[in-house]
Amino acid sequence: MLEVRDVHSGYGSTVILQDVSLRVDEGEVVTIVGANGAGKTTTLRTISGLVTPVAGSVHFDGEEISKLQPHEVVDRGITLIPEGRQLFPDMSVRENLMMGAYRRAARSAQAQTLEEVLDLFPRLGERLEQHASSLSGGEQQMVAIARGMMARPRLLMFDEPSLGLAPIIVEQVFDVISKVARTGTTVLIVEQNVFHTLKAADRGYVLENGEMVLDDAADALLRNDHVRQAYLGI
Amino acid sequence: MTETATRPATALERTNRQTLGWAALGLLLAALLVVPIVVGDEFVYHIFITICLFAALSTAWNIVGGYAGQLSLGHAIFYGIGAYAGVILVNMGVSPWFGMFVGAGVAVVAAVVVSYPCFRLHGPFFALATIAFLEVFRVLALHFRDLTGGATGLMIPLKIGWEWMVFRERLPALLIAFGMLLVCLAVAWAIRSRRLGFQLVATRERESAARAAGVATVRVRLIAVSVSAALSAMVGTFHAMYLTYIEPASMFSLQLSIQIAMFALIGGIGTIWGPLLGAVLLVPITEFARGALGAEAIGLHGFVYGLVLMLVVLFMPDGIMGVLSRFSGARKAQDGGDEGHIAAASPSRTPPEIGKPVLKVENLEKHFGGLHVTNDVSFTLREGEILGLIGPNGAGKTTLFNMISGFLAPDGGSVSVLGRDGTWHSPSDPGEYAALGVGRTFQIVQPFAAMSVEENIMVGAFHRFHAVADAREAARQTAHRMGLGRYLEDEASSLTIGGLKRLEVARVMAMEPRVLLLDEVMAGINRADVRRAVDLMLSIRETGVSIIAIEHVMQAVMALSDRVIVLNSGEIIAEGDPKEVVRDPQVIEAYLGKEFADA
Amino acid sequence: MQTFLQIIANGLMLGGLFAIVAVGLTLIFGIVKVVNFAHGEFLMVGMYATYLLTTGLGVHPYATAIAVVPILFVLGALTQRFLIQPLMNARDEHIQIFATVGLSTALINLALLLFGADIANTPNYQLRSQVEIGPVRLLQGQLWVFLAAILLVTGLQLFLKRTNIGRAIRATAQNRAAARLMGINDRFVYILTFGIGAACVGLGSALIAPLYPSSPTIGTYFVLIAFVVVVLGGLGSIPGAFFGALLIGLVDALSGFYIGSDLREAVVFGIFLVILILKPSGLFGTRMSLSHVSP
Repeated sequence: MLEVRDVHSGYGSTVILQDVSLRVDEGEVVTIVGANGAGKTTTLRTISGLVTPVAGSVHFDGEEISKLQPHEVVDRGITLIPEGRQLFPDMSVRENLMMGAYRRAARSAQAQTLEEVLDLFPRLGERLEQHASSLSGGEQQMVAIARGMMARPRLLMFDEPSLGLAPIIVEQVFDVISKVARTGTTVLIVEQNVFHTLKAADRGYVLENGEMVLDDAADALLRNDHVRQAYLGI
Repeated sequence: MTETATRPATALERTNRQTLGWAALGLLLAALLVVPIVVGDEFVYHIFITICLFAALSTAWNIVGGYAGQLSLGHAIFYGIGAYAGVILVNMGVSPWFGMFVGAGVAVVAAVVVSYPCFRLHGPFFALATIAFLEVFRVLALHFRDLTGGATGLMIPLKIGWEWMVFRERLPALLIAFGMLLVCLAVAWAIRSRRLGFQLVATRERESAARAAGVATVRVRLIAVSVSAALSAMVGTFHAMYLTYIEPASMFSLQLSIQIAMFALIGGIGTIWGPLLGAVLLVPITEFARGALGAEAIGLHGFVYGLVLMLVVLFMPDGIMGVLSRFSGARKAQDGGDEGHIAAASPSRTPPEIGKPVLKVENLEKHFGGLHVTNDVSFTLREGEILGLIGPNGAGKTTLFNMISGFLAPDGGSVSVLGRDGTWHSPSDPGEYAALGVGRTFQIVQPFAAMSVEENIMVGAFHRFHAVADAREAARQTAHRMGLGRYLEDEASSLTIGGLKRLEVARVMAMEPRVLLLDEVMAGINRADVRRAVDLMLSIRETGVSIIAIEHVMQAVMALSDRVIVLNSGEIIAEGDPKEVVRDPQVIEAYLGKEFADA
Repeated sequence: MQTFLQIIANGLMLGGLFAIVAVGLTLIFGIVKVVNFAHGEFLMVGMYATYLLTTGLGVHPYATAIAVVPILFVLGALTQRFLIQPLMNARDEHIQIFATVGLSTALINLALLLFGADIANTPNYQLRSQVEIGPVRLLQGQLWVFLAAILLVTGLQLFLKRTNIGRAIRATAQNRAAARLMGINDRFVYILTFGIGAACVGLGSALIAPLYPSSPTIGTYFVLIAFVVVVLGGLGSIPGAFFGALLIGLVDALSGFYIGSDLREAVVFGIFLVILILKPSGLFGTRMSLSHVSP
């Protein structure tokens, strides 16, 4: 469904990604793991159109999307849930969710999607009229995920969903991600929390210094010596 | 690598181009003086005098607006003060040669009073505040009629001669204007090429990084503003004598302030010669429009100015100097992924004795709103010790760093640092921490983007050295040690993320700190380099430097640290020998992950 | 007492006038995060347009709003598209400042070229005739300006809170990156916002032209006051700008009477500097603003 081919990407004259390729098939849960600054976020930003690659291409359902604007990428059915939640702080939870269904295709089904999403996140139902900034970190992450689902994406990308959350909340977030995957949505996760993601994923890529150094089934990566030594400190 | 082979030639070429640049500049300056004398026409004289005056004003403005990055749109305040001081004193029988220094003095006082409260304002807000001050000065000048003559203005008595700066012929006026231009250029050049200039540009680029490097940011800005105001006032005095008549609307004029800034922008903001070039190109347009087209073309030159200004910001934001330097081939880093390597250091395998305490943190507290980000944190750092600080994102590690480097005031508790004199100090701002030898890096790299790699490191070295040559030498040594030797002359912004991290460390190292705070410096460094970086840090420690390192690369944490502190939700949840800490169930739960234990 | 009431009434009317100029400025600032130094010149352009249409077609100045508002919308949208948008990611803020300062300089001088330095009086159609309301006398036109200011502020606020596009505008202001990820076309939002901000001042110019003579530099006077109002009301806050404008109107009127008319501006700018330096979030805090922005 998604194919990233030999992408070089960066900001200004700073090159971050070098020759990165990856593939995500329909219905899969795929993860990219790597250290801080390895280029994981840049990979997602490149797919979602926030960064235009210097070389290489991104294809979605066979269509090249690497030159599209972010809003056009959203129209194709790809939504990115950004690192650090990035809610609209002065808006209510309801307004935040409405913004998730901003594009025309999603807007017509807004009411129905909202019901479905609230089924997944029953706690948010009680908080609909609260200001997003008044929620706890964990609740904010849930709003961010719910907001992403409001667009009815076919591919949902998560950037560091566990960042800055207490371990117990991290468990909940990964539970939710599994639920999302079970609804048939394809998932691509970028994480520093290597264990949790590899447990939740079907396949994984290891990104180091802007280059893909490994790709394999998730459980194979968990047993991989290099991964164990570099990311698990064993 | 052909890159290496061509480098000497490039350096030679650059020297040649530099010589060429100086020659062109000399010719330009000579032309300012020679052309009107040769042509001998009154109107040509007038144009060249005006060019010199505006170039001088713009050069003076550039010290504040360019080097210090404080975009003043109220510089006519100082020009006006100089003009009024001069004229009022002439009317009292005092020579303007004396009056201009009185004006300069008053302008310096005004500059300090106006700027000091405005330094916390940035970008458009600083500009707005200076405009507001300008309006206040204009209104006051209109109001105090007894002193300023109010709206009717002031004339100067017709006393002719050098003593009164008033002449029948134009040549002496040109000589004075030209002299003033030379003085302004010389001062601007002197500031830019010395320690003060480096510190000003560093402050402009990244204020917090500059403060961490020990730059007294407020003091250097006040010096810049004072010098700039004094020069503007002196030019103002002369211009008043030249015009023979002044009134508030034209002295304290927003349009004039904008013009002064505009010449600098068009020529190349923050460069030494840019303002001169801007004035040379644009002043003739005004004066021709006025002189040749007369009243019919009222507004034409202003229209052209506005248009040129918009075109310049859109298409050549670095001005004429930017275009020129592009032609002279300023080299950017050509990155084929071939980074320089950190110089291999070989620390002796027996770590030195860990000495007496050098930094004490006691019961530190910090709240952000309802969030308790630092909760009763206490620890002691000893001489020559490497303390690893780990914990999940959001645990409050960087907040802790901010409090032990003076960037954030704690809500409770204390930080004490052992001074070189052997007594304990409680510093309260980054400058005091730097003075006590506490150096830090930033997690999000903060390069001075407009400076070369060498200049970035020099800003740190200036903490120890006054002379540029000494700082440069120290910066070079540090750069080679950090594997940045090849990139000395590259723009800092052209480095890769790993390079920027090393630059960050190099800048602090150049300060020769006694306590080094490193915030995730391993992130993004080549895997092969992690080992070298670890060795380098160990060898730094051998010189008696104490290090606190926030790090996520566990491999490095384990190899480096004598002791590890684990922070979670603002609290220390574990502390001790690295091998024991990673087995602590609480640490596994909070940071390493449950599976870590199973694995 | 009578004099005092008259001064208060004058101050409020002046405040309405400042509000109608400041609303567009604060909208542009709050959303696009650009201080539009050419805002006053937009007013000047609008006033000349009103003058030309009124004298040329012989219509009531208020009727010209039908044309002046769209003209100003286009002027604002073009400014955003071709001047600000290319500079949105500029390294230094000074680049954006110079861009709008350049536009301001060009527009003032273009007006000088076209109309000369003389003032142009728009026919006022009885709008300068006085009406008595209780103990105070006011100009008919002032009352209309005041009413229009209230309607404009309320309308804008409703537009931003209740419509989809309004929400998208606020979302972009609060978190541009997230807004883009929601599929909001941020460039379009900025162009639209700049256009609306300029259109507000277009409405203002049709109302102000019959009361004040047009001149190339008329905008400079109003915009400096508008900056004061915007900072006072909290940058980006529309209700804040309205109340800030009333306050400055009152200060202007009171200080003009009690301190001296030639020092009015010094008082107003003095207050401005104190607020800017001591409480840059404005008198009414950030609660009312569209986004959390402080200098």
